[in-house]
Amino acid sequence: MIQLSNIRKAYKTQLGTREVLRGIDATFLPGEKIGILGRNGAGKTTLLRLISGVEHPNSGTIERRMSVSWPLGFAGAMHYSITGADNARFIARIYEKPIQETVEFVEEFAELGEYYRLPVRTYSSGMIMRLGFALSLAVDFECYLVDEVIAVGDTRFGERCRKALAERQARSTLLLVSHIPATVQAFCTSAAVLNDGRLTRYDDLDEAIAVYQAA
Amino acid sequence: MSGTFQQDARRRGLPPRQDGLGQACRRQLRVIGALLLRELGTRFGRDNLGYLWLFLEPAILGGAIGLLHLFTQHGLPGGLNPMSFWVIGYIPFYLLRGVVNRAPVAIPSNQSLLYHRHITVLDIMISRNLLEGAATLGAMVVFLLLFGMVLGEWPVGPFKMLLGMVLMLLFSHGLALLVATGAVYTELFERMVHLVTYLTLPITGAFFMLFWLPTEAQDAALWIPTVHMFEMIRDGQFGNAVPTRYDLVYMVGWVAVLNLLGMAGLRRARRDLAL
Repeated sequence: MIQLSNIRKAYKTQLGTREVLRGIDATFLPGEKIGILGRNGAGKTTLLRLISGVEHPNSGTIERRMSVSWPLGFAGAMHYSITGADNARFIARIYEKPIQETVEFVEEFAELGEYYRLPVRTYSSGMIMRLGFALSLAVDFECYLVDEVIAVGDTRFGERCRKALAERQARSTLLLVSHIPATVQAFCTSAAVLNDGRLTRYDDLDEAIAVYQAA
Repeated sequence: MSGTFQQDARRRGLPPRQDGLGQACRRQLRVIGALLLRELGTRFGRDNLGYLWLFLEPAILGGAIGLLHLFTQHGLPGGLNPMSFWVIGYIPFYLLRGVVNRAPVAIPSNQSLLYHRHITVLDIMISRNLLEGAATLGAMVVFLLLFGMVLGEWPVGPFKMLLGMVLMLLFSHGLALLVATGAVYTELFERMVHLVTYLTLPITGAFFMLFWLPTEAQDAALWIPTVHMFEMIRDGQFGNAVPTRYDLVYMVGWVAVLNLLGMAGLRRARRDLAL
């Protein structure tokens, strides 16, 4: 379970302080597949970062009662000047996973070919995304935080991600943020709408999408 | 950071970990070990001489400075060998400057690692500076062996020297923590740090000995913590051949205060960090 209580987050900009999240309360249970819908700039990525612990809220508390992945997106979690394989070794060491198995698993899942042995900075954004996703699957988290990314990847890989997540159906939670209702429909069983710094949960997916599109 | 992980485990119904602190330390060491390996890979790569650069860098610089002074040959007070004097001053200074100069970019260049919740900013700083310390120590050892074999000049107190180097590393590390903290809030640190390390070079004590100075100047110089460290390192090399003055308690005090302030600062800065 992940519980957010009255989360607030503001950023200092050149135009003064901008409050992005204005009191978020939410509970995410094991096995839930939740889509979080929000327009560009609504604070979706910020919310994921706070949930993952990459950034800290200005006030409020986040309780994590399961292992939570880093936010899976185009950036972060890996080092660009070393190879994909070295990144896999690094992740294995950090998360106490068997090194050889991790390297092999990531190689197979990410399908990077010879690029696996080249520095990450030579990768295309799609390849970086595949590597990031494969690394997180190798760690085997209980909750995956996904930032729109899967939908952007080529469909074959998207399909494999969906399968990989489905295999973990019972035990793993999925939090997917997106601005595209179709993506949420493809991956999630319930949804929430992030608007004006607040998050509203809907048990019914279609209802959430209707509210989101009306807003 | 580590607290949340332990809580995670407990709430998940995993058996509570018996040795809280020991477990935390073990995890921290594992993270620092992994970071060290990665830092080795990113800084020195696997091309050409690779890891050899680790200590070749300080060695070449130290050697060049030493040779320069050997050939320009101003005699040194106390009849010290110019080559060994300059090398033994330059290498610890290289450590100080390297650690402090690299501090402002330590967090930005490793931001992506903070995506892993149990990697702390302190882990990143420790692993970077340990590597820097190991490199300079390696270079130092090579030169000491060289001086010993070629000039027959072996360190009188190798342990004192090592302790002096370790204190220098810890002092630089503490300073680096503060600089890295400041760099989170303002660009000023990144812009100024090279200038400051350059301008303060003459007063660090790297290239003068205390006994060269008049008494009042000696007392003034002893306010500067690095002067003590260089004196201690030279005491280790030259022993009673030249007089040295330093105060271990004063050095340890500086190290403790800088490190505590630095760790507190980083803790605060991590909360304000926007990645």
